[in-house]
Amino acid sequence: MKGFGSVEDTRRALEKAGYICTPQIATVLFLAAATDKPLLVEGPAGVGKTELAKAAAESLGRPMIRLQCYEGLDEAKALYEWEYAKQLLYTQIVKEKVRELIGSAGSLSEAVARIAAEESAFFSERFMLARPLLKAITAVDPVVLLIDEVDKSDPEFEAFLLELLSDFQVTIPELGTRRAATIPLVVLTSNSFRDMSDALKRRCLHLYIDYPPPDQELAIVRGKVPGLDQALARHMVDAMGRIRGLDLKKKPSISETLDWARALIALQLDTLSPQVVETTLGVICKHREDARQVAQASAKVAGSP
Amino acid sequence: MVPLILDFVACARAGGLRISTGEVLDCLTQARWIDPLDESQFYALLRANMAKSRLAQERFDRIYRLYFHELRRQIDDPSVSITAQTEEIGAEVRGMDPGEPVSGAVADFLEGDPAAYLRLLRGIDSEGDSQRLGPGANLGALVRRLPVLRALDRAAAVVEDYLATRRRALHWETRREIDGHLRQRLASARRLLTEGERLGVAPQINRERSSERLDALGERAFAGLSPAEVDQMRQVIARLVRKLKDTIGLRYAARSRGLLDVKKTLRRAARYQGVPLELRRRRRPPRKGRVMVLCDLSGSVWSAARFMLNMLYALQDCFDRVRSFVFVAGLVEVTDLFDHNDIQRAIGKVLTETDLAYGAATDYGLTLRQFRSAYLDAVNKKTTVIIIGDGRSNYGNPEEGIVAEIRDRCRRLIWLNPESEAFWYTGDSEMRTYMPLCNEVRPCQNLNQLSDFIRELVL
Repeated sequence: MKGFGSVEDTRRALEKAGYICTPQIATVLFLAAATDKPLLVEGPAGVGKTELAKAAAESLGRPMIRLQCYEGLDEAKALYEWEYAKQLLYTQIVKEKVRELIGSAGSLSEAVARIAAEESAFFSERFMLARPLLKAITAVDPVVLLIDEVDKSDPEFEAFLLELLSDFQVTIPELGTRRAATIPLVVLTSNSFRDMSDALKRRCLHLYIDYPPPDQELAIVRGKVPGLDQALARHMVDAMGRIRGLDLKKKPSISETLDWARALIALQLDTLSPQVVETTLGVICKHREDARQVAQASAKVAGSP
Repeated sequence: MVPLILDFVACARAGGLRISTGEVLDCLTQARWIDPLDESQFYALLRANMAKSRLAQERFDRIYRLYFHELRRQIDDPSVSITAQTEEIGAEVRGMDPGEPVSGAVADFLEGDPAAYLRLLRGIDSEGDSQRLGPGANLGALVRRLPVLRALDRAAAVVEDYLATRRRALHWETRREIDGHLRQRLASARRLLTEGERLGVAPQINRERSSERLDALGERAFAGLSPAEVDQMRQVIARLVRKLKDTIGLRYAARSRGLLDVKKTLRRAARYQGVPLELRRRRRPPRKGRVMVLCDLSGSVWSAARFMLNMLYALQDCFDRVRSFVFVAGLVEVTDLFDHNDIQRAIGKVLTETDLAYGAATDYGLTLRQFRSAYLDAVNKKTTVIIIGDGRSNYGNPEEGIVAEIRDRCRRLIWLNPESEAFWYTGDSEMRTYMPLCNEVRPCQNLNQLSDFIRELVL
């Protein structure tokens, strides 16, 4: 049984894993799982792009392998690396054996030929350090591969991903091409820090997650922070909507809403007044300029109780 | 469902979405997994495959709404067939002026095929009016929409006419159906036309047809830009800057593969019993230049200089330090303004917050003397000095000796002249005097020249 049963199934399974989503998100995730297409998720920071991958892994019952991208990430860190130290250590240990092997050799070239015949002993999977991508490819049971913040990686790495995403295979010069035993569900996330290339986009299903509509946000808050009073949660979500309406550098997203809800519980507050907004500003705004702006509009943000 | 999706794809392509055949195939194979009668699923399927950027999504939504909602009304009432009549009216609209693409497109639209009309609108939006100058240059978009508006009006008249002349021949229900149906289609056609205007077509062009756009803007003289074009120019510059930074990053990455760092390699080798298994390269911090810019603040020169400053400061992390000065008759340093303000605001503030006598006649001699006494110490072999000016010194002493002195002290002295070369040696221009003293003199009238210059400066 591959992936989910149907779209409705997907939505329910995600909800069970604590991820409440729109039908669109469920449909696209379902399609990605059903047709083995990689899924490129874009959207503002903190709307739950990474969470989606985690929830998908949980609801599919698959382990998740995560590759965090950053500038300068290369194949050695993403795919595999030879474990030089281990190779060296083994060479030292088997020194005697090596001497034995070449001891009877008549000439230098014969000795080299004999060692070359044993080359695979040193360049074998034993000495290979598998990094996330290789792990995902060689996994016996299907996994969810999360390539997080792919926009932060270099264009070269993006080009390298193309082979992986279209054929689910990677080439290791010493060992040959490795084909995926089971095709992983690949989820790439991006904050649009940089536009991904058309070639990459063409290979992926595209999903844009925006700030959620108020009802959905309320459901998420209630799901994740169960101790919160219903009326206060409603009020808070509305206030969040008004804050997003301000001209801010970084608009608060769901993760901030959740932090705020937890902060309100920790402070044991049960109403949202302008003062409360001002004292808990640090949770909502991560820029001084933004904080100032929200503080000025705190009365408007808090609204009528 | 296959023909429907294919038809929609044709329509979306006409509307400017770039959808590859592979994506269409994916879409068709995935279609069997969903319930096509559930619209949210169908919509998600198409959108996930066809609209893969934020801008494309807006466009996609517009075309989707048009194609699947506004043009599909007749399905509601299957009892009355109005296809024949619609086609008759379409033929009549097409016949208004045969061969004219506008009325043909409108007729197609009335018959329910929006592809030609969308293509027409896209042509209008992306054409650009860069060739026209002077008053009314910003009317271009309106002027190009006018024939379409007129064609729509005439089509409305045709519909009315058609219904009036066939009052007897047609049943009143059919007439009402035709009237409501076509009226709605015309309304959506009109909305598309005006929406294109409002939805900010400019950024879309900037993204997708940037090269064409850049060519058009690139050759425009700085002095003759409309405010809207200045805005566009800024976006173009921002993109250029990002590209340049990418190139620079690549260059430095390539360089770090260079020299072997013996010390580090040996230290690493200690981990492997002295065998240098991992080579370490010397990662030399790339040499960054210092830049000093002297900008003439007089009218025509300033229009070029501010773009120059814009680019220089956007690329600031590629330089060690950018210091900037403005002058008319006398020199003022404005580096602080740029350090403490956002680039756009700083450029605005240069005009309002510096105490320069703007009314005074430009005096290069005085400016250079002041520069020598106050800032010449700061010029060293790492410094690139850039002077932007027309070299019109109102017959004052040009002080070419100081220019020579600056050149001897700095790495390079570059003179950018925003005037066209034909005027360089006329009137009070001292270009002939300054020219042999500079390492480089180049015209800087438009974006192409400016970006070429910046590229050479940075790389």
